[in-house]
Amino acid sequence: MKRTKIETTVLYVLSVIIALCSLLPFLWVFMTALKSPEQIYDINQIIPTYITLGNFKQVLFQSNFVRYFINSAYISVIVTMISMVVAIMAAYGFCRYNIVGAEKMKMGILFTKMFPGVLLSIPYYVIMKKLGLIDTHTGLIIINCSFVLPFAVWNMCTFFLQIPWEIEESAMIDGCNRFQSFIKVIFPMAKPGISATTLYCFLMSWDEFMYANTFINTAIKKTVQVGIRDYIGEYSTDWGPLMASVILSLIPVIVFFVFVQENLVGGLSAGAVKG
Amino acid sequence: MKGKTQIRKPDEYSFRKNINGYLLIAPAVIAILLLSVYPLLNGIWISFLNYDMTKAKLPDFGTFAGLRNYKVIFSNSKYLNAVSNSIVWTLTNIVVQLALAMGVALVLNEKLKGRSFFRTVALLPWAIPAAISALTFSALYDTKIGIFNTILIKMGILKEGYSFLGNVSTAMPAVIIANVWKSTPFLMIFILAALQGVSYDMYESAAIDGAGKVKRFLYITLPNIKEPMAVAVILNMISIFNNFNAIWLLTQGGPLDSTEIMYTYAYRQAFVDHKFGYAAATSVVIFIVIAILTVIYVKMISSDRNK
Repeated sequence: MKRTKIETTVLYVLSVIIALCSLLPFLWVFMTALKSPEQIYDINQIIPTYITLGNFKQVLFQSNFVRYFINSAYISVIVTMISMVVAIMAAYGFCRYNIVGAEKMKMGILFTKMFPGVLLSIPYYVIMKKLGLIDTHTGLIIINCSFVLPFAVWNMCTFFLQIPWEIEESAMIDGCNRFQSFIKVIFPMAKPGISATTLYCFLMSWDEFMYANTFINTAIKKTVQVGIRDYIGEYSTDWGPLMASVILSLIPVIVFFVFVQENLVGGLSAGAVKG
Repeated sequence: MKGKTQIRKPDEYSFRKNINGYLLIAPAVIAILLLSVYPLLNGIWISFLNYDMTKAKLPDFGTFAGLRNYKVIFSNSKYLNAVSNSIVWTLTNIVVQLALAMGVALVLNEKLKGRSFFRTVALLPWAIPAAISALTFSALYDTKIGIFNTILIKMGILKEGYSFLGNVSTAMPAVIIANVWKSTPFLMIFILAALQGVSYDMYESAAIDGAGKVKRFLYITLPNIKEPMAVAVILNMISIFNNFNAIWLLTQGGPLDSTEIMYTYAYRQAFVDHKFGYAAATSVVIFIVIAILTVIYVKMISSDRNK
């Protein structure tokens, strides 16, 4: 089943078009971030003839951006840590013990991830108001766990299910107790799954916009996703710094991408399709 | 999993022997009950109450309202407009995304030099936070600095900038394009994974039998990827229907409610107009649609597993 030369050429052209569709918007954002204010409004400067780092300097040194970045990082790290510890425990329990109704419970957990956020946000507001958690990072951390945790449990189950019981059994025959066999056998084997899930969890929390936009009012408590909108005024938008902060806020995303892209195709779909 | 390999401790289901298992799942189960299930029930309960935050001091605040909230929203033309926009939004998105995802997956499944590079790049929009991709598109569409307007003006097609997001006729297509860009890669990954599962031998022998490209696609590729594809489509439909960021950050449902979907309508009722009762009733309708889609999804993946 050899391809003809023409077919191969067509495939390459299509691949390049696909790549351009993904990349061009960002290339343009990046170029805009490197332009001076006059260049941004000049239609002859689509590709800038000279570049400036002024926008990046303004974002880093004369705005709250760094603060927003730290807020987001803090929230996402705590959410990820809580979710992963609880999820690894739960996934191990579900997969290695005989729990009545385990499958049903797992499906139920998956279902909670689909709950529309807007329906939950109403009781969240009422409850958090009572507990004094509105406009606090603690409140946001608790809320973010509500959608990160089910994902983490479900994903960790998929990875634990791939490790045969016999391996653990033989570790126990060799004198390990349950806990030791988990640390010495299961944990190393599930490590790729654990690190991928950890990154996904971090990113899910990092990306969250609606709850952060609704429940945080104080300027310096904002997350990155909400805070970068500071440059959008009611009547005019400060495009240069806005585009520069878009580029800066993508740093964790790019780091994530570099780490997991190798087994992304299999890893991402395995959990959802095969269950 | 191969023949006899066991994934579970071969033990009976007695509570005493599995007590550690129950202890291990307890924190997760309790957290999910508190963080998701209780708020969900609470939200459904609020949809049956008089819960207008702007009238919180009135004596009937928080009292039982029966189906009044539902009656009010269903007789509101703005809500009905949001329902029809939701249908247009979801169906257009899924059809366009499926067609594109299928095409891209077929191209990226071919053996080419630099294939893994092209795959990585094609996935990039999926990894971008929704708020950021919306910002990017609001810049692309902008009247003054947007690339579309800049190019159209340079080519002499437009005299001055056209507001893609500010006109009733172009706002919906514009937000759909932004969302297609963002979420097609997700669907594409699933289709690509399914394509990789189709054995090469089948194509080979079909080719020897003289089956052309189209025939091979229709009789070998499609039947083999049908099931995982259906699962991916349902999953994608849930996230499209549940979408908030793409629309709220680009148009806030405007202009003149032309891009208002059920989700943004519910959010507006809750956090712009502070009418929690109506907002909850609207959200419960969204929940019912999602629940139906989720049941289909769960049925699909569990039948897949039982095979």
